[in-house]
This record gives sequence, structure tokens and C-alpha cells, in this order.
Amino acid sequence: MSITNLLENWSDFRQQHPSEDRPHREYKWAMSIDLDACTGCNACSVACYAENNLPVVGKEKFAHGHSHHWIRIERYWDNDGREFADQGAQFLPMLCQQCESAPCETVCPVGATNHTADGLNSQVYNRCVGSRYCNANCPYKARYFNWYDYPTTDNVWPEPMNQQLNPDVTVRGKGVMEKCTFCVQRLTVAKSNARSEGRSVLDGEVQTACQQVCPTGAISFGNLVDPSAKVGKQWKQQQVDLNKDKQAKDVTESAAKLRGYRILEELRTYPSVMYLEQLRESAI
Amino acid sequence: MIENSFNRRGFLKVLGWGGATVALSGCGNTSVEDGKEFVTSYVQTADYIIPSIGTYFNSTCAQCNAGCGIMGRVREGRVLKLEGNPKSPINNGKMCGLGQAGVQAHYNPDRIREPLLRTGDKGEAITWEKALALINEKVGGVKAENVAFLTGGVSGHVKALLKNYLDALGSGHHYVYEAVAPSIMRAANKKAYGVEMPRLHLDKAKVIVSFGADFLGAWISPVHFSQQYARFRKADKGERGVLVQVESKMTLTGANADRWLAIRPGTEGILALGLINALAAAGVSVPGDVVGAVKEYTVDRVSKDTGVSAEHIGKLAALLKERSPSLIIAGSAVEGYAHGSQNATAIALLNQVLGNVGKTVEAPSSVPFPQMAPTAGNRFALQALNDNMAQDKVKVLFSYGANPVFTAPASMKLKENLKKVPFKVVFAHYMDETAVEADLVLPLNSALEDWATAMPEYIAEGAQLSIQQPLMEKLYPGTLGMGDILLALLKQRRPEEYKGYEDFYSYLRSAMVSIKGALGGANEDDDTFWDTALSRGVVKLVGAPVNISSNASAKGLVVPAPFVEDSAYPLHLIPAVSASMRDGRNANEPWLQESPDPLTTIVWDSWVEMHPKTAAKLGIVEGDIVEVASRSGAIKAQVYVFTGIHPDVISMPLGYGHEAMGRYAKGVGVNAFKILDPIFDKETGELAMHETRVKVSKAGQRVVIVKDEGPAGGNQMGRKIAVRMSSSKVNLSEEV
Amino acid sequence: MYCFLRLSVLLVGLIVSAGSYAVNAVQPLTTADDLGPKVEQPIEFPHDRHAGDAAKGGMQINCMYCHTYARRSIVAGIPPLQKCIGCHQSIESVRETPRIKKLFEYWEAKKAVPWKKVHDLPDFVRFNHERHIQRFVFAQNKPVQEACGYCHGDVKTMTVARRQKPLSMGWCVSCHQKDHPVDATSTKTTHGPNDCWQCHK
Repeated sequence: MSITNLLENWSDFRQQHPSEDRPHREYKWAMSIDLDACTGCNACSVACYAENNLPVVGKEKFAHGHSHHWIRIERYWDNDGREFADQGAQFLPMLCQQCESAPCETVCPVGATNHTADGLNSQVYNRCVGSRYCNANCPYKARYFNWYDYPTTDNVWPEPMNQQLNPDVTVRGKGVMEKCTFCVQRLTVAKSNARSEGRSVLDGEVQTACQQVCPTGAISFGNLVDPSAKVGKQWKQQQVDLNKDKQAKDVTESAAKLRGYRILEELRTYPSVMYLEQLRESAI
Repeated sequence: MIENSFNRRGFLKVLGWGGATVALSGCGNTSVEDGKEFVTSYVQTADYIIPSIGTYFNSTCAQCNAGCGIMGRVREGRVLKLEGNPKSPINNGKMCGLGQAGVQAHYNPDRIREPLLRTGDKGEAITWEKALALINEKVGGVKAENVAFLTGGVSGHVKALLKNYLDALGSGHHYVYEAVAPSIMRAANKKAYGVEMPRLHLDKAKVIVSFGADFLGAWISPVHFSQQYARFRKADKGERGVLVQVESKMTLTGANADRWLAIRPGTEGILALGLINALAAAGVSVPGDVVGAVKEYTVDRVSKDTGVSAEHIGKLAALLKERSPSLIIAGSAVEGYAHGSQNATAIALLNQVLGNVGKTVEAPSSVPFPQMAPTAGNRFALQALNDNMAQDKVKVLFSYGANPVFTAPASMKLKENLKKVPFKVVFAHYMDETAVEADLVLPLNSALEDWATAMPEYIAEGAQLSIQQPLMEKLYPGTLGMGDILLALLKQRRPEEYKGYEDFYSYLRSAMVSIKGALGGANEDDDTFWDTALSRGVVKLVGAPVNISSNASAKGLVVPAPFVEDSAYPLHLIPAVSASMRDGRNANEPWLQESPDPLTTIVWDSWVEMHPKTAAKLGIVEGDIVEVASRSGAIKAQVYVFTGIHPDVISMPLGYGHEAMGRYAKGVGVNAFKILDPIFDKETGELAMHETRVKVSKAGQRVVIVKDEGPAGGNQMGRKIAVRMSSSKVNLSEEV
Repeated sequence: MYCFLRLSVLLVGLIVSAGSYAVNAVQPLTTADDLGPKVEQPIEFPHDRHAGDAAKGGMQINCMYCHTYARRSIVAGIPPLQKCIGCHQSIESVRETPRIKKLFEYWEAKKAVPWKKVHDLPDFVRFNHERHIQRFVFAQNKPVQEACGYCHGDVKTMTVARRQKPLSMGWCVSCHQKDHPVDATSTKTTHGPNDCWQCHK
């Protein structure tokens, strides 16, 4: 797969969904996040820092929007000018939605971000030249750019803090884009183990770091191709279809009681993350 | 060269610890540097250690007192990540952000690495032998009653050794201090239920009314409660529990409530009595004396006193009557006033009236080994120590697990009184504010390289002993564990008794093995028992049930005082305890500093939360630097305006404003502890944390707040991003 | 430490990147065996003596007897010193040779031998030994030395190991594009994965 070959035969290499002739074969990694269970506690975000070697950028760079949190808690208010936010906040863990038709992939000038056969949106750091087109094209603002050389000149991990770094994940240098990978280092290990035993990865065998830590179990993650996977059952029960840009909930009256939705799906990004709507009691 | 180098980026990665050095990628077609890097093998290794595959060891989290079980991922001899121990019934494999940041406490570049003795303004590195001999000399030179030991909450074998040491000295002065502990609630519970810490079953409740208990954020055992909360929200039958939060400043729990009721500060008890009155009127059976005590609390009056609308009081009473069992929780917002005990008592009474005791409020178990049972800290301990220091009654002071110079209000003049103590020994991880004042600073092992046991104060059922074991070799040879230090000190006093123990590990092992029968290992040989205990990380204890009183009675009920205006200092200051910062002891862990506050999304600074109405009255907008002045002092911080706070209140987070400690904590924000007024709860003598009145004035500058929410400030701009629906429209029982 | 040029102007970068494709295009996908540099090791370990053919005086020891991690870990690993000693403490005949004496010196001092890396990959590459061994040795019953030799060359004829294959991305891909039988009995074939994240981390 030389780069010439890649560029000349782009349509052969580009994995894109929905497509009839290229269904997902063994794996399609997907997530569902229950916003009624999410309490906004930030444990997932810290877990991601620990697992994926995210740099702590400090106040000044944070102010410039240079923070790196592959999963962040967005917090919204919905109090329509009432005196108090008396129904609380709306918390939303936002991460790369691993879109099936990802806007970031089409604009990368060097093919550094691609779709994998498992339905992940990959980001290859040593291919990336830092054009940041992908970032500009991402409707979820889920991509983070290394404006500085965090491991060296910025010394984000002063001795002995560098000993905490996860050797399974690259420490990114200056000038490359990065984002949530669905903990691909864990997926690779699980897939390899399963293959050695001549089977597919079982549901629950692999967890993302954010899912593993979530105190309320708001995050489910798994293989959408596997009919026994919880995440697939959730998608099905909520009648959310990966290959549609409008779900039953949006079109049929009787499905209005369902909670599942995908963010900005009208943009036809076909995200791999389904959210379940937050609930509020009307009796009080 | 340009062509070849263009696509190649070097990446830095740190490789294995045992010999392999930092690996740098090189140049050339494959970035391969054959023959330049070392690949050092083990000399001898255990079969289960396979390079590149993590090994997991169970231990206990020491980041707060909840005592969650942790599982450290260890690779090539270094701990990489902390995950939850699935075998721990407290957290069942889950973790909070604070707990995970434990690795940053361990690998912190600002840790103290060797014992330091003060010579003038400087610390001189000395050996442990010299340090321990010096302690021996100093405690030997004063009367036993002049030796004081200040600690945070302690339990387990370290507590037992500490008591033995104090006994050996003949000193009874053990001050157990926690700056933000729910100590008034404990006292009120003891009075109402007969137990200090009843077990709450959130998952069994259909309605939870929490009076300022931030059980999802920073209250008692948040990871445990979060799991119960998840079951409460999505019960098996599909009936979703309803959470109502009553408080003056929105906490993380308040932000998750179905209804958040802003209440005038300190009037929580009045609302509780009003609800009892309303329930009695609605036909709930309430004992006669109670009815008599609350009959003046009509809906109108309660609404006027508390600021909670009559409509909401009515709806709340109806909900409580209709859906049983419910659970009423009194949190730290309730107990923060001069009448805090009365507030808490009134709320406990509401639980009893609703018949929740025995259903959602249950008795804890007794602990079979009282010498290891947790000693919960309170604020009164520090006041007592402070008084003794002021009267020159303390000649030798030990401080462990507390940072009183940081957490004491300025009005206590603790720093000045500390100077009267001739010899101060501080056991510390960092040169924090208290260590800076010490004569002798003794560096502790991190929690990930030390042996200990802990008995969590709060556990859903029964009791347990949690084991803390080293997850890796010590980073610095010059640090020592608290157990080892106490053992060395005891050897000075009682050599005969302790000479058999080479180190704390051998003491701990033999102490545990000697009681293995009570620890579930009666039929196992010593090695099997010990290995099983270590690999599980927790040992279950059999505790006897304790009686809990469900009797609703007006006896002992003192009617809480209503809100009083203060024209000179018109606003209440609520010092907020956040999930990551707590009392500030973990402020030097950068993940926590960069983890946005859930409600304001602010990072790396303090702030003043203010209601838009109050801000408008004072002509303040977001980002204005204001001076917050109490009768005890003034501090300056940026204002954040939002509607999650009562207009009579402003709030500032605790834990910020360190003047020492380390590079990530020092100079970040301001210390709200400092301006707290010396007002105390009338019954317990505890510092009333929420009772400080302040006035706010603009200081002239305006800054752009560094926060995560973006310029839209939490508005979805008409997009369907975070969506909410009414719970009546959905059928949860159909969900997967 | 970094040897790429820091291009501050993006446009320059794009022009140059186009140029780099052209240059890459003329490079062959596979290269003939080009040997890596000679590596000086603290002890000149004779692979030929241990793994070589009996006819040539070798002991024919299976690669995985010493490199025991290869079948169950991403890395093949250098065996722990105790593994060497395990055999050599009972091989009196060579006990006094200079190399073995040195080995025991390390052992007695309980010091690790500072071996140098012969086959190095960039740190952003995830190469999984286990997967390849499982696939070729266990699923397809290929001889161990053949399977290891795909990447490591003919180690059994070497004393101190030396790199024989380029280990470049193009070289890896050239093999991944080939169709390999799925197992020893099957006629079904498949090739190695070709998505970036399989190898790039």
C-alpha cells in the first residue's frame, strides 16, 4: 500500500458506510451513552488522561483552547430564563463519534485519517502533517491538535511522572492531530487474543477506559455485528439504525417514547455513538 | 533530505523501567536504530510476569476516606494506571477521577525525598537514624501530657500502632481532624437513630430528598452512592426513582436532580418540619408530640421562611406520601450553621415520620476489632489542639495526614500558635503549608508503595478490612511508610514487645495471620490465607447488627432558627467541597486541576459563584474580579454568574490557594478557608462552615474566565445536542 | 532528537509532501535482504551454537525455548538471566570459557546483561509477535525457524544476531498483501490486515 497506490485507488481503500457492498464483517465497534445515568462526574475524562497519555496543558493554553481531553463533559442549561436552573444541568460526554461517513477523513491531504474495517476512524500520527483541516471539518469538535511539544520542551511529564505513561499508546509530538480511538490499543489486544483462540471478541471482553471507570455504568461499548452484544441490543431496542440519518423516533409517532438519538445526524455523518435522552420527572 | 524527513515524525516514548532506557526514534527509512538501544532482560522473574502484558495487583485507594478497592496495572515494574477492584463491595470495579489521580500523587515530582531538619530558614537533609533519635530525645525531654499527635481520620493497623505509641508515651492527646467531615450529621444521627453512620439504600428508595448531600460528588462514599444511584434511576421494574435536591448552592448531585429547589441558607430544618406538618395534614400517621411541635409550620410560613414556593412544598409532600419508601438525606449544606445540629435532627425526624428507617435507612454493623475501627475526624479537634498550643501546653507536636495551616481559618491564628510549639514533626508527602512550619519533616511513602490496612467507615453491608499493598518498588530510598515509622518509634519505647518485627510488613502479616479465624481464614494455612487476602485486596469481617431507632419523637427537637438578615455583610458564603479538590490535599495532582468543575467548567483557578440577580444588583458581570470580605478577612477571585445558586448566597470552592505544596498547586486560586468566621454549631462546638457572612465589592479588574463550556456558556443554540424528555413518556422496563 | 524539519508554513508542507510521494513511488516495495549494522553485545551470544543444525554443531534448540514470550506477548523478549543459568549451571564442559564466565559474573552480581537491540522498530509501531507466531506456527504448523525467519532471517547461522530484513513499512505491507492459507489444511486464503491502526499506535 504505497502512498501512490493509495491515492490512485482511493475508492478501493476508503472504507465508508453506509454501503451495500461493503458491510462490516467481523467487528463494528459502537457505543451507547445513557444521559440519564451520566452524572457529569468527570471520572471518564480522567481515565482517558491515564490511558491515552493526554498532556495536561495548564491554564494559559487551556484558555487558548489547546486542552486535550478526548472525552469531555459538556454541560448545558435548559432553564428558558427561569430564575433557577431548577431541573439541574444536562451533562453530555462528548468524544469522537467514529462517524461511518466521517467529514474529517475526506479532507485530510495526506490520508492520515482513515476508516478501518472495524468501523473506527483512525488517526495515524506519523502520517499527519498538521494541516488541521480535519479539525475544521469535525462538527463535534472532537479533535485536538498538538500545538506544542508537550513531552520535551513543555515538559508536561517531569521526572518521574513520565513513568506513568502508557507504553501501548504513542506520546504525540508537536504538530499532529489526535482524538479518541475507542481505546484501539485495548481492542487490538482483545482481537489478537480472540483470534488465537479461533473466535471473535466476546461482549464485555474489552472495555474502553471511560466505560470501565464510569461509576453509574452510563457507557456501553461493544461490537454491533455481534447479536449478543449489549450495545447492539440497545441500538436495536431504541430503533437506531447505523445507516440512517433519521430514526424511527423522528418519524413515527409511536416511537416517540424511545430515548436513543445520535448527535447532529442530519449532517449524515452516521456516528457510532448513540445517546439516550436524559429524563426528568414531571410530578415535581 | 527534505523528502525523506517530511513524513517522519519522531515520537518519544518511555519504555520499561528495569533497565530499558528512554527510547528515541531515529532517522532513516524506518526510523530504526539497530544496536543503539538497550533491551535489558530480567535477572530472575516470576512466571506471571510477561513483558508488555500488565499485571494487576489489588490495593486500597488512599485519595479520600471512602476506602475504595483499587487495582493497579503494573508493567515492567512500574504502575501505569489505577482501576477499580471488582471484588470491593464499595466500588465494584469503578473509580472516580480523584482516585485515579492517585498515580500522580505517587509519581509527583514535588514529593519530599529525604528527612529534613530545620536549621534556621532551611531544611537540612538528615538520615532516618538521626531523625528517629531526635524524636526519641525530644519526647523523652518533655512530660507526656505535652506531646500531641494530630492526624486525619485513621483506621486499621496504623491506628492500632499509633495508639500503642501514645500509650507508651503516656500521652492521651490524639487529635483527629478532618476539615470537611460531616461531623455534625454524625452527632445528630447518633441522637436520632442511635448510630452515627446509618446505611443508606438509595437503590431501594422511590423518592430521595437530599438536603444538600452531594452523594454523587464529594459526600462520604461517592463512587458507592453513584452505583446505588444508577440502580435507583433504572430500577429492575422500570420504575425510575425521583431525586429532589434542596440546597442553596447547586452541587453535582443537585445538577442531576429532577427538581432542584433553591433554599434560603440555613432554613433546611424549617422545610423538613413544614413537610412533616403537611404530611400530617395529608393523613400520614405522625405521633402526637411531633404534630404538636410542627403545627406552626404551615405551608405559607415555611414558604416565606425558606423561599421554596408553596407549590413545590405541596408537590413534594404529595410525592413523599404517594411513593414509599423514600429516603431523606441531610448533607453538609444542612449542618453548616450555628443551628446545624437542629437542622439535621429535624431532617432525621422526617425520615422517621415517613417510616423509612429499616427500609432505606438501616443500621450499620458493629466492627469486631474496635482498635482498628475508623476514627472519624472532626473540626473540633483542631480547635482543642489550637487552644492547647496557645496556652503553651504542647511541647512536641506530630502531624500526619492533615494540613492544618492550610485548612484552619485565619481567625484561629493557628500559624502563630504553632510557633509556640518548640518541636514540630510533620509526616508529609509534599512541603505543604504545615510542613514548611515544621522543625522536622519526615517524607512518607506514597500510597502505592506502602503497606497499610484501612477499615472504611461506610460500607453497604457488614464490615471489611481493606488492604493497601505496594504496587511497585519505592521511587526514593529516603521515604518511609507511616507504619514503619511508628514501629521504629515503638521500638524506642517498648523494645521487648516489638523487637520481633523487622519491619511493618512483618508486623502486619503476623497481626493479620494471628486473627485469621475472624478474617475468614480459619481453615487455611498462614500462607494461603495471606496470599488470598492480598490477591483479593479486601477481607470481609463479620460484624454484629446494631440497633437503630425508628421511633419518631419530638424529644430533643429544637426548632431551627429562621434566616436573619445582616445588612453589613448581606451574603452567605458557602465554601464548596468539590469532588476533586476536597480540602485541598490533592491539589498538586495536575489531572485534577485540569479536570473542569462539573457545574462551572472552570479549571486552574478559584471562582465566586453568583446568581444573576445578585450580580445585577452589584453591577457585576462574569469575569469581574471581586473582593469577598468577611469579618475575618478578605480574598479576591473571579465571578462566575449562573442560576444554580440562591441570590442570598455566593459560593467559593475549597482546596485552592496553596502557598506551598508544589508546582501544580502553589499560587492557583485563593484559599476560602481563611476567611471563615469563628461561628460554631451550638450543640457540638464544630465550626459552622456555611455560617460566614460576606460582602462583595468590585476590585476593578476583569478577566476572561478559563473554562471549558465555550463562549455559548451552555446554550445549545437550538441544536439537538443534549436532549431531555419527561420520564412519564418513556417505558424504562422495555429498555435493555 | 527529532530529525524532521519543522515546517512552519503549511503550504510549503503540501508542496513538499507531493514531492515526497513521487520519490517514494520509485522505491521498490520489497528490498533484497540488506543487512543491518553489526551490533556489539556485552556477551557474544552464539545463536548458531544453540539453534543451529546438528550437522553444523548446533543444539537445534527451538527459538521459543529461550524467547518464550514470543507466543504470548507483543514482544519476543530477551530471556531472563535465570534461563541461561538454568542450563549452564549443569554444563560443566563450557563452564570456564570466557563467555560463560562473564555470564556467571552477571548472575552472581544479580545484574542484568545490558543487551543491545538488534531489531528495532519505531515507537509508533505496534508489532505483535504473538499474532504472527500463533498464525504461522500454531495454526499453520510452519517450522518455528521458518516463521521467525520471515522477519529475523537465518538467525541459526549467526553468532551475534544481525538484522537481515529491512523491517520498513513497505516491506511489512508486501507480505500483508500476499494471500496466506488460513490453516494447514485449508485451501481458503486470506491476507494480513491493511488498516493503519493495526500497526500504527
